Amino acid sequence: MTRAFRNALLGLGAVVIAAMPTFAHHSGAMFEEKKTITVEGVVKEFQWTNPHSWLLVDVTGKDGKVTTWGFEAEGPTTLQRAGIRPSELRAGTKLTITGRPMKDGRPAATWEYAVRADGKKFNPREGFAVK
Amino acid sequence: MTARTKLTMASVTCVGLAILASACTRTAEAPSAATLSATIPQRTKEQNIELGRQQKTAADLYRALKDEAKGGKRLEWNVMPDWRGVYSRPANAGFAFDPDQAPGAPPTAKLTPEFQEKLTKRIAEVKRGIEWDPISTCAPPGHPRWLTEPFTREFIVTPDQTWLINEMVNDIRRIYTDGRDHVPEEDRIPLENGDSIGFWDGPKLVIHTNQLRSGIYQRSHPDYTERVETVEIWQKADDKTVTADVWVYDPPALAEPWYVKQSYVKLSDPDKSLRIRYWNCGENQNNSVFQTQDGTTQFRDFSFTDKDNQGGKQK
Repeated sequence: MTRAFRNALLGLGAVVIAAMPTFAHHSGAMFEEKKTITVEGVVKEFQWTNPHSWLLVDVTGKDGKVTTWGFEAEGPTTLQRAGIRPSELRAGTKLTITGRPMKDGRPAATWEYAVRADGKKFNPREGFAVK
Repeated sequence: MTARTKLTMASVTCVGLAILASACTRTAEAPSAATLSATIPQRTKEQNIELGRQQKTAADLYRALKDEAKGGKRLEWNVMPDWRGVYSRPANAGFAFDPDQAPGAPPTAKLTPEFQEKLTKRIAEVKRGIEWDPISTCAPPGHPRWLTEPFTREFIVTPDQTWLINEMVNDIRRIYTDGRDHVPEEDRIPLENGDSIGFWDGPKLVIHTNQLRSGIYQRSHPDYTERVETVEIWQKADDKTVTADVWVYDPPALAEPWYVKQSYVKLSDPDKSLRIRYWNCGENQNNSVFQTQDGTTQFRDFSFTDKDNQGGKQK
């Protein structure tokens, strides 16, 4: 993978997302239903907030321009139940992240799953599992 | 200070410490529900559906259950149901108001023609990508929708009140079991969680809720009106599960009472790391959404983009 937007474009594909609605607080109608996008980048900020957390990721394009993408997940308690802690995704952390992009083209997406450079996976929706 | 005074003070101190130690011990022990037994029988789903049909209103059903429980019995602090822990609705229930609703199937409620038509239209719009949820602005879900939200919950039982807490929007339902009646009819104003009174039949908490606001049971679900009322029977089904039998009465919208059974499962938390965090919906502008002119949901400006880029126009 290059550091460019390559994955953002290559990763855009028809992928069926699981039946459980992604967000409990608002509809996900602004996101693509079946397409996903995958980008490689560096964490700029982890906004650990209710009702939704946002992982901001800086992605460098082929032309060297940096675009900040926002990936939306559920709030802190659900992330905690998924085993995701803010200390694991500090600013500067390198990762690859996949989500359903917005229909209007803005650089934002749902956070479906992320893989840190060391291989650790982060799937926010595991936070809804009752265990 | 005389020797007698010193002795008296020492005795008082010892007695005080003994009482404190006893209280601390009691606090740490699991409350005992061993001696609590119910008069209201366990019924099958079909029997509960039929029970709902036999009663014309929620108030009638509540009275019938209270008669069956011979008026119920007040809880005592030394014999309490143990509902401690952090619970959540099982993920396999999804967002469906009736957990028995099959995936992809419509809600199981039997609706009046007018409300069936509204539901059919809503589901068709969602299929076209048009959806707006009234709680998107962080308005409370309200009851009975409260039963379906997927976040963490705590159930706090005391003899006079039980608090049913959902993490979402810091939402608490207070169930009064101290013998009080509902707010007088002339003073009733619709409220998100209404007015709930209840009684204990051994380990079962029976609740009647009225004075509710209109709303929707969930997304892609029917509307309910301000005439909606519920009766619930809450109990511990096993060590990890609290269940609620729920009957919903809403004559304008429901052709017959809607019976559903809800379950909430205690989350494993061996290292005691789970925390229910306060919801302040205004703390992050990236969570601000609005309803567009075509009726769907859209984000306002993001903090992480460098220009005014709100998508679409507000309704």
